Parts: sequence; structure tokens; C-alpha cells
Amino acid sequence: MIPFNLERAESLEQALEFLDRDGTEVKIIAGGTDLMVELREISPGEKGPGTVLDITPIDEIRGIKDDGSTITVGALTPHREISSSPIILQYAPLLASACSTVGAAQHRNIATIGGNVINGSPAADSVPALVALNAEAVFQSKSGERVSLLKDIYLKPYQTDIKDDEILTAVRFPRLPEGATSSYIKLGRRNALAISRMNVAVVLVIKDGEITEARISPGSTTPTPDRITTAEELLIGKEPSEELFRRAGQAVSEEMINRSGRRWSTPYKEPVIAALTARALGEAAGEGV
Amino acid sequence: MNQNPEIIGTSPKRVDVREKVTGAARYGSDLKMEGMLYAKVKHAEYPHAKILSVKTGRAKKLKGVAAVATAADVPGNPAFGAIIIDNQPIAGDKVRYLGDAVAVVAAETEAIAEKAVSLIKVKYKELPGLFDPRDALKPDAPLIHEDGNLIVHHKTRRGDIEAGFAAADRVIERSYSVQRVDHAYIEPEVVVAYFEPDGTLVVKGSHQSIFNIRSAVSGVMGLPLSKVRIVQASLGGSFGGKDDVMSVLSCRAGILAQQTGRPVMLSNSREDSLIESYKRHPYFMDYKVGVKNDGTITAMEIKMVADGGAYASMTQFVTWRSVVHATGPYRVPHVKTDVYGVYTNNTYTGAFRGFGSPQITFAYESLMDEIAEELGMEPLEFRRINILHDNDITATGQILDHTVSVGQALDVTTSASGWEEKRARFPKENSGRIMKRGIGLACSYRGVALGAEGVDATGATVRIHSDGSVDVATGLVEMGQGLKTIFSQIVAAELGIPIDKIQYRPTDTSLIVDGGPTVASRSTIMGGSAVKKAAIGVRERLFQAVSEKLDVAPEDLIAADEKIMLKNDPSRSVAFLEAIALALETGLNLSCFGWHLSPPIWWDEEAGKGDAYFTYVYACQIAEVEVDPETGKVNVVEVWAAHDVGKAINPDTVRGQIYGGVATAIGYGLLEDVEMVDGVTKTMNMDEYLIPTAMDVGKINAIILENYDKYGPYGAKSIAEPTAELCAPAIANAVYHATGKRIRDLPLNLERIVLGHKLIKKKRRVR
Ligand SMILES: Cc1cc2nc3c(=O)[nH]c(=O)nc-3n(C[C@H](O)[C@H](O)[C@H](O)COP(=O)(O)OP(=O)(O)OC[C@H]3O[C@@H](n4cnc5c(N)ncnc54)[C@H](O)[C@@H]3O)c2cc1C
Repeated sequence: MIPFNLERAESLEQALEFLDRDGTEVKIIAGGTDLMVELREISPGEKGPGTVLDITPIDEIRGIKDDGSTITVGALTPHREISSSPIILQYAPLLASACSTVGAAQHRNIATIGGNVINGSPAADSVPALVALNAEAVFQSKSGERVSLLKDIYLKPYQTDIKDDEILTAVRFPRLPEGATSSYIKLGRRNALAISRMNVAVVLVIKDGEITEARISPGSTTPTPDRITTAEELLIGKEPSEELFRRAGQAVSEEMINRSGRRWSTPYKEPVIAALTARALGEAAGEGV
Repeated sequence: MNQNPEIIGTSPKRVDVREKVTGAARYGSDLKMEGMLYAKVKHAEYPHAKILSVKTGRAKKLKGVAAVATAADVPGNPAFGAIIIDNQPIAGDKVRYLGDAVAVVAAETEAIAEKAVSLIKVKYKELPGLFDPRDALKPDAPLIHEDGNLIVHHKTRRGDIEAGFAAADRVIERSYSVQRVDHAYIEPEVVVAYFEPDGTLVVKGSHQSIFNIRSAVSGVMGLPLSKVRIVQASLGGSFGGKDDVMSVLSCRAGILAQQTGRPVMLSNSREDSLIESYKRHPYFMDYKVGVKNDGTITAMEIKMVADGGAYASMTQFVTWRSVVHATGPYRVPHVKTDVYGVYTNNTYTGAFRGFGSPQITFAYESLMDEIAEELGMEPLEFRRINILHDNDITATGQILDHTVSVGQALDVTTSASGWEEKRARFPKENSGRIMKRGIGLACSYRGVALGAEGVDATGATVRIHSDGSVDVATGLVEMGQGLKTIFSQIVAAELGIPIDKIQYRPTDTSLIVDGGPTVASRSTIMGGSAVKKAAIGVRERLFQAVSEKLDVAPEDLIAADEKIMLKNDPSRSVAFLEAIALALETGLNLSCFGWHLSPPIWWDEEAGKGDAYFTYVYACQIAEVEVDPETGKVNVVEVWAAHDVGKAINPDTVRGQIYGGVATAIGYGLLEDVEMVDGVTKTMNMDEYLIPTAMDVGKINAIILENYDKYGPYGAKSIAEPTAELCAPAIANAVYHATGKRIRDLPLNLERIVLGHKLIKKKRRVR
């Protein structure tokens, strides 16, 4: 651990002002559950942030809003609040389920969705669900607002395109379409307090026995989070079946290898992401498949 | 005679519970002292290298640094050890693993000490490293210590092994391996060392076996034993893990305290602890078994290689326990077992709850299921044919002259778990479901206390004070297992007084004579016997005073309900307080020391035979699991654990031991693995070294069996370690039942279940 200054921002304006003035060495702290671990690993002599900016007093970027079509989740909203929110449970249940699997209760009470998104871990639980929801990330800086498709902010594992003077203020996404079903499956080594070995979020719309929309978003699978359109396309216009879902799962693992190549962990991940995907699709499609 | 039997066999509130739950208990890192310095260690940068030079000049000059010590500053012996004197608190000529220290620093703050460590420059000549004990045994292997890489070779011989195989209808061979695991106590190691004005070195901290630590410190510091005081702070878990490593920390801090004349705290981070502290031995185990078609075992030939790491530590003793028990609780007329403990450049290995048994139990209990399968028998049926009974002879030639209860343990666990029905039903139900159910069992026998590996004796002092309060002191330590409560119950029982009258004295080497280590599940049977003797001794003095007053024979008195009374006429009595006054008036000494020496046992190392332990405990555990064969996830649904403890002096404590031991074994079976690649520890903190949470343990049914043992206090034997040796093989057998996959290497993690082998990460994380 290295010493650093701790600054506290009481408002968004104050925070943006501070970031504008001192652009390079500042690290934002929200719940701190990623950042504190990271700071502890910096040994004396190594370079680290000179200042840590605490944004937790900023109420404007906390909480869940629903305007009837779009749901906005403030960056400071903790996982616990998301997983128990009636809005999320009704219009984006896969996100509630993803957030309910983060760490243990202690983490979920303090760790925020903004931190989860910006930390950029390939195993982050909320991110695949957000990508499946077609979420956008909303950034604010002194010079204004920037909105980007959430999946596009990721440059590589643990790195987003956030600028030094920006704060993530919210993630937002359209309500799931009428009749849509969804599922989020996490595979961890333990039943609690486990980082995802792999996970997957899916959304299906089935009309008159035919799949009309499909979104498949796996975690810890591709270098940056994304929907796997090759697998989604397989499903469109088809009747849901176990066999079909297996093929979609297969397509996800093929795409994983296309993007990441064969790595030390591929022998395990290849069959497992296929199985998890098939299972999530089955869960979303419900009884009878 | 048992004076106040009511309290034996009950579960009074733990005597130290209040201080622990209120946070008042003082653990090692709470022991801040005025003027105290903080120490940090400069660790080795190669797993095996000659040290050419250590440059400490820049570190010494840093503001706030009080001392920098290297091997040249060690005042006494350069090393310590139980049998082989090889463990160097500060390495001099050579480093042998990455946890070795080349220098230690004391400074005003931890941050300054850390900075100073980064300024120390060491020149090395790297030597070829050995990371697999089987490589270390090759004739051309480089030497880690001058006398060769073999730490020890133990053997067991019974009958005629060739004749045994000749009598067999089939010979079955299997190999198993187990990984390196960490104790993962919640509190990493910590000490505070300082000198008293009279020149006594005091080291307080998270100590387990205080007398072992005292002798190490005495040797390395060049101080007489009488001038070293080791004091135990409240302990945040140990499980066998806070012995040698605490000796190392104590010596390092002691040297710095001597150099600076100030108190020095040395506190390990979790990373330090994972790299530096000793682990449970990884084993490679080859079994060859002869069986008849009717299921009788005729012979077993066993070869095992244990990875001892850089220092011998307890390897001789750990592997001896393995060589004695390697055949399991079965009748095997012809036995040839060889166990080799070997040096490598990995983190050294030593004592860990189980002590050489979790390894072999995994092998022989997996094997029993495999043989049963080959013979077309059910695992239970096959075990019943071969298990030990009263008066049977063990692999080491010992006649078991007590109640041999492994059969009873099998009976109660199988009936409690619905074994027969589930064995038949699960396979039928599994085809239609994602999560496959399975149920598996494992049983064991285990020698109690140190055994013939050494002299086993321990002492206790019980003092009665003039106001009726009583205190007890022993050299054995509380580490969460409940020893203070058990010993207080024994004193309460023998003196006929309530348990809240009894105070447990600090565990301090200056307060009592060396009573050996707190290990080998020996505290209740050995320490309890010593406490009982001390309590009886002091009670006899009260009886002497009372017998004069009442004019009766002392033998006719009993102590109960805070009175000394006539056995046949309780109306004739003297209050406990009055009895004390009577005794003190006549000048009687109301402090008594009890010493307990184990019954005679023997071991012939050359012949590989002996009466290895004076008694044994028996157990069986059954695990019901669900397995997801597509992802490799295993959930332990429920466990049934039956343990014969002789007599449960405190049943809640026995159950607590069972719950904890099962949880430890679930971690061993499914999750835990201190991964090392070329001597580098890759699991550096608890995010990568995964232990089970409450959500991973499942329901545990603790079943206590009581078969009186003549050698224990009130018939009690032991419980701590056997609880941790069974669940891993029970799980492996259950996974086989569920999926048909036989996994012969631990842990059964996601990758092993899916692929049958583990994945090796190529990327290294160097410290
Ligand atoms: C024991 C443990 C278990 C965990 N288990 C899980 C798990 O199961 N699943 C999982 O997904 N994660 C897990 N995590 C990781 C972590 O808890 C989550 O990623 C969490 O959501 C991070 O949120 P935070 O508020 O604590 O972020 P912080 O640590 O405060 O911040 C994380 C990063 O995001 C930046 N940041 C935070 N907020 C903003 C903002 N509004 N604008 C710009 N930058 C910002 C910070 O500068 C920092 O770089 C675990 C962590 C721990 C310690």
C-alpha cells in the first residue's frame, strides 16, 4: 500500500471541477471493493494515484429511475438495491439476478454498479446482463455528457475508454420488450463469495412458438464483453428446442475461440460456455423445452 | 472416583466466550507496546541460490530504521529443528525457498520498514531448483542440504509380501496424489519480542506449541531456556500451523529486539503467510493390493513420496503416522509400506490437522471403492469383509485390546444416511437430471496422541485459593478447540465446585514445566489426565483436613455441591470454603502438580513394527453430493460423521470439532490448492486460495460414539484430527457414484471433474 490524499466531492459539479483541475493522478472511489484491493497491491516505490476522490456523497448519481421506456441506474447504486428493486425485477430481471450474485452480502451493500462497470473485469457479473439489455453508459465531464453503448467502452480486460476528467454517472437501458424472458447463470467455484469462472446472460422473445429476438451475452469468454450475434442468428425464426439451444451454445464457444484463440483454459471453457449458454436459453424459454 | 459427574458429558458455556464475542480478547496484533518498532523481512528472490552478498548500507541509512540484521547477526545457532537442525530464521550461505529471509529490518513504522527492505540488495548465484520430490530422489539430483535430499524413509513390514500376493486371485494397482494446502487460519502469524530488565527475552504472539518455540528461540538466540519466555496471545486459529513458523518469527523479532533494545513487532501479511508458513505435505501414493474373489485382502504393498519442501520440520513424524496407518482400518496379513520424506525447493511442509492421515485416507478409501467395483461388490460389503475387529492385529503387528468400533461407525452412518436405499436409487434417477446425485463413504482408524514417535507426557497445576477460587495452568494451549473449558470441567468435577469458580491461567512457558506440544489430538487424553491428577491431588489434602475434623477416613469422603461430605451420609459435611480454611490452618499446600505419562508403547524402526499407539479412535463419514458434470461443480448436500471419542466430556465441543474438520476436508476435497510453479507461489491471497464458505459445506450430522477407554480421563480419547481426514475421499467416492468418474488427484475442482486433469496457468505472479 502506498500513501495517497483522500478528497471528498459533495456534488457532481465539485467532482467534475476537481477532475478537470487535476486530470492524471486521481482515482475515483465508490464502494472501494475493487480499488482498495488494487491500491493495497502497489508497493512503495511503484507508481500509483496521488489522490483518491470519494464520490459517495453525490446523491444525484444514485438510485433507479424508470420513465416508462428507459430505465436509468445511477452509477453509485449498490448491487443490493438493484437486485431487490421492483423496477428491475419487473423490467430487467436478469440484471437483478446478476447483481444478487456479486460477492457476499457485505459487498452487495457497498459495491456499486458503476464500479463494477468501470473496473472492467471480464468476470464482472453485472456487465453481461447490461450488455444483454443493450445498455448505454452515460459519462459526464466539465465539457458535457458523453453516451456510448456500454459494450463499446471496453478496450481490453480491465480497461475502458473513460477519460481522466469523466465520471460515469449512470447506465441506462430500454425495458425488456413485452413478452421477453431472460436468464442469468453464474458459475463460480463456490456457492457464495465467488468470482465468476464464466457466466452468461440471455434474452429471448418467443412469439407463436417461434423465436423472434435473441440476445446472448457471455462473461469471461471474449476479451471484451459482447453479444454473440452468430449464436443469436441461429435462433431467429426457429422453434425453441434443446437441440437448437445446444447448437447456439456451440456457436458461442466457437466465437470465443475465434476471438481469443486457444489458450491454457480453452479445454475447459469450450464445453462449459456451450453448456451454460444452452442452459440459460432453456431457462429463459421456460417449461416444455 | 468421579466426584461430581454431572458436569462431565455436558456442554457448559465456553469459559473464554465472553472476551471473544465482545472483542475484548487480545490477539497478537493487539499487543502494541510503547516504543515498539515494526519489522519486515527481505525474502529470497530465488527458490534455490547461493547468497554471495547482502548489501544493507542504504537500508540502514534510511531515516526511521533502527536495525537491519542478517545471518551474521544471529547470536546463537544458525538454525533450529525438531530432529534435523536445518531451519534458518535468517539464511546465511544459501536460500532454499522463496519464504527464506536474507535480512530483517526494524523501523519506526511498517512503511519505513517496507521501504528499507526494498533498499537491501542481494547478490545470488542461482542453483538448479527441485520442485518435485520424485525428481529430488534421483541419484544425480542437486543437493538442497548437504546430507542429501532424503529427509526420512520409514517402513512397515508384516508377514511375507510375496506369499500375500501369491494367495490373491487378483492384484490391483492404483496411484493417487494430493496437493499442498494451507491452514488458512483467519489470523496470520504475529509476534512481539522484548527484553525484560533481567535479560529475559519475552516473545508474545500467535503461538501454538509454546515449548517447541522456546527451545528454537533459546538455541538461535544463544540464551538459556530459563531466559526465554514464550507467551501465547489469544489465537486466531492454528490447526497445527503455528509452530515452526512462529519459531522463525520469534527468532527474527528477538534478534531485532536485542539489537535495538526496544520491543519489536513482526506481523505477517496474508501473502507472507502463504509464501512463508509451512503447509500440509503433498503426497504421491502407489498402492498394490492382493484380493481374493471372495473379497478378502491378502496383501498390500505401498510406496509414498512426501514433499517436505525446504526444511525437515515435522516431516519425520508426519510420514511416520502415514506409514503406521497406510493400510487403513483393515485386516491385511502381508504388508510392505515405504514412505519417503524428501526435500525440495518448495515451501516447507509440516504439521497440519490430520498430520499425515488426510493424504493416505484419500488414497486407501478411494482404493477400497475401486477394489469393490473390480470385484463386483458394493463398497460397504467389501469393507465389512475386511475391517478390523476387537483383538485384531494391525499392519504394524499391534493387537487392538480396546473396543474397535469402525464397524459400529459404518453401521450408524449408513443407517442414518439411508445409504442402501440411496446407493440403489440415485443412479436410476440421475439419467434424467442435470445435477447428478451420489453418495460415498470413508472410514479410518487413528492412533491417539504422539505415539511411539516420542515420549508423551504432560503436566498441570491446580491451585485452590483461600477465598474458594481455583486456578489451573497447563502447558497446552487453547486455540479455539475448547481446551480451557474441558480442563475447567475436569477440575469442577473433581473438586465438586461450579465451573465459574475456575480461572484458566495464561499459557506462558515461565508458569509451568514443559508439557510437550499441543498437537496430535492429545490435549484431552493427556492434558486432561494431568489436570485430573492435579485436581485429585489437591482434593486429597482437603480430604485430609476434613477427615480429621469429622473423624472419618479420607477414603469415605466425596466432594460435591461445594461441600466435602461423607459418601454414605451426605448430611455430615463441611463446606468447601471451610475445608480450605481447615487445610490452610494445618499448613497444607493447596497447590498440586499433576504429571501424566502415556502407557508404554514401542516402535522398531529397522523392523518396521511396533505397538505404535496406546489406543486408537475409529470413524466413518458419508458424503452426499450433487455433481454438475457439464461444469464440474460439486455441491456437498449432506454429511454424516460418526466418531468414537471414548467419552464426550463436552458434546458441543465434540460436535464443533466435527463441523470444523468436515469443512476443512471439504476444502481439501474440492477447492484448496497452494499452487506453486517452479517454487513460486501463485495463490497469494484468499481471492485465489479458496476455502469453503458456509454455503459450501452442506448439512453436517455429527454422531458421537462412546466406547469407554481405560487410558483416558472418564474414558475419553480424542476427536480433533480424525474429523479432517475422511470427507475428501467420501466426496471422491460420491462423485464416482454420481458420474462414474474416478478422480485420483485432489482437489476435485471444476476442471478435474470436466477434463480429468487440472489446468496449469502459464502466467507467473512473482512476489
Ligand atoms: C471479496 C470480493 C468479492 C467480489 N466478488 C465479486 C463478484 O462476485 N462479482 C463481481 O462482479 N465483482 C466482485 N467483486 C468486485 C467488486 O466488488 C465489484 O466490481 C464492485 O461492483 C465494484 O464496485 P465499487 O463501488 O466497490 O468500485 P470501486 O472499487 O470504488 O471502483 C472500481 C473502479 O471503478 C472506478 N469507478 C467507480 N465508480 C466510478 C464512477 N462513477 N465513475 C468513474 N469511475 C468509477 C474506480 O476508480 C475504480 O477504478 C468482488 C470484490 C471483492 C473484494
